[in-house]
Amino acid sequence: MHAIRNINLCTKDCLCLYVCPTGATDTETGQIDASRCLDGCRICIDACPSHAISLIPAAFPAQQRKTDTVKKTLLSLAESKVKQEQIAAYIEKNTDNPVLKQLAQVLCISNQLMAEDLIRESGYMLPQSQNVQDFLKLLLDTDQPEGFPKEVVERLLAILNLENLDQTE
Amino acid sequence: MRKYTCSICGYVYDEAIGDPARGIAPGTKWEDVPEDWHCPLCGATKADFAEDKINNKSATPELSIVENEANSMSELSFGEVSALCSNLSKGCAKQYRLEEAELFNQLAEFYKAKSSIAGAGQLKDISTLGERDLASGYVQANLIAADASDRGALRALVWGEKVTRILNSILRRYEKQQDTLLENKHLYVCDICGFVYIGDKLPDICPVCKVPNEKITEIKRR
Ligand code: SF4
Ligand code: SF4
Ligand SMILES: [Zn+2]
Ligand SMILES: [Zn+2]
Repeated sequence: MHAIRNINLCTKDCLCLYVCPTGATDTETGQIDASRCLDGCRICIDACPSHAISLIPAAFPAQQRKTDTVKKTLLSLAESKVKQEQIAAYIEKNTDNPVLKQLAQVLCISNQLMAEDLIRESGYMLPQSQNVQDFLKLLLDTDQPEGFPKEVVERLLAILNLENLDQTE
Repeated sequence: MRKYTCSICGYVYDEAIGDPARGIAPGTKWEDVPEDWHCPLCGATKADFAEDKINNKSATPELSIVENEANSMSELSFGEVSALCSNLSKGCAKQYRLEEAELFNQLAEFYKAKSSIAGAGQLKDISTLGERDLASGYVQANLIAADASDRGALRALVWGEKVTRILNSILRRYEKQQDTLLENKHLYVCDICGFVYIGDKLPDICPVCKVPNEKITEIKRR
């Protein structure tokens, strides 16, 4: 477990710098140095007057189960949103009318967000989850379109800390 | 005196109170509220309001689902894979895992480029798909998610259905008014749920997902 700072909330009151026993909070990036943070210490969290710091666990619990019918129905709606997003992107790209372009851009963003949300609720909420791991492996094990960035997927599998996950999902 | 509730944000138009801030006197009957009046919170049209009935239990449609073999992952289209990766990128960014966020982003871009070929169409096609989602997709999905007591899925469906209604209402208005609909108006999208707002006075929180409005982004005309 280590502390993270939400820089949008941090008011630079510096109390976390005074209390941290390892100096992990005093960095130039605005972020806390995870490698120096003592597991579960949380002194800075209690000290921060702006509630800008929180703890992230190193391992996560198995995620909620999704039934196959729920998955299916969410994904079929998601596919419709993806289609709407693609049509909007096409209009945005091909119109000369700046007002229509603006509207199409908005439709594109909005539909993409809805698609993302539906897919995420079909069992892909947590990046470190078993389902995401299976998804990444499947990308490697099946035919992918030309130019597939295999090394990106391999790197993700290597660094996502998937071994820390409770595997009972 | 009757009351009408905005199906998108829950704002209640009470005939007894009217909407004096927009020139609708107390006591104004719903049918006398001008057609160009909009929900003061979210901008929805009159058509998006429904009357509050004491007994408004509608017959629940029968749930009939054919169980199919689970094979959903390999059935994801490139567009869906792209959306999945772009959401996972956000999930990593929230945990300040910036390298992972960037990698998922690269995957999202790759699959988006592969999927964009299928996209030709017009606004009309978008509203047709949106109507279909509202008429059957959400109805079906809501029943299934309720049946499975899937809290998170129900939440996503509630938000998505509201946003879809708003988009379709905007498309209907745009069809009639064309570019004048957006004349001298700002256009915003909620970064979290996709809620779209046309106007000048952004609500304090998103009427759909309730995020504070610093996460509602203006999309400028280019
Ligand atoms: S104590 Fe809180 S507000 Fe002050 S510098 Fe640390 S994180 Fe920022
Ligand atoms: S949790 Fe403790 S060790 Fe970690 S940054 Fe905060 S004060 Fe320092
Ligand atoms: Zn409303
Ligand atoms: Zn929102």
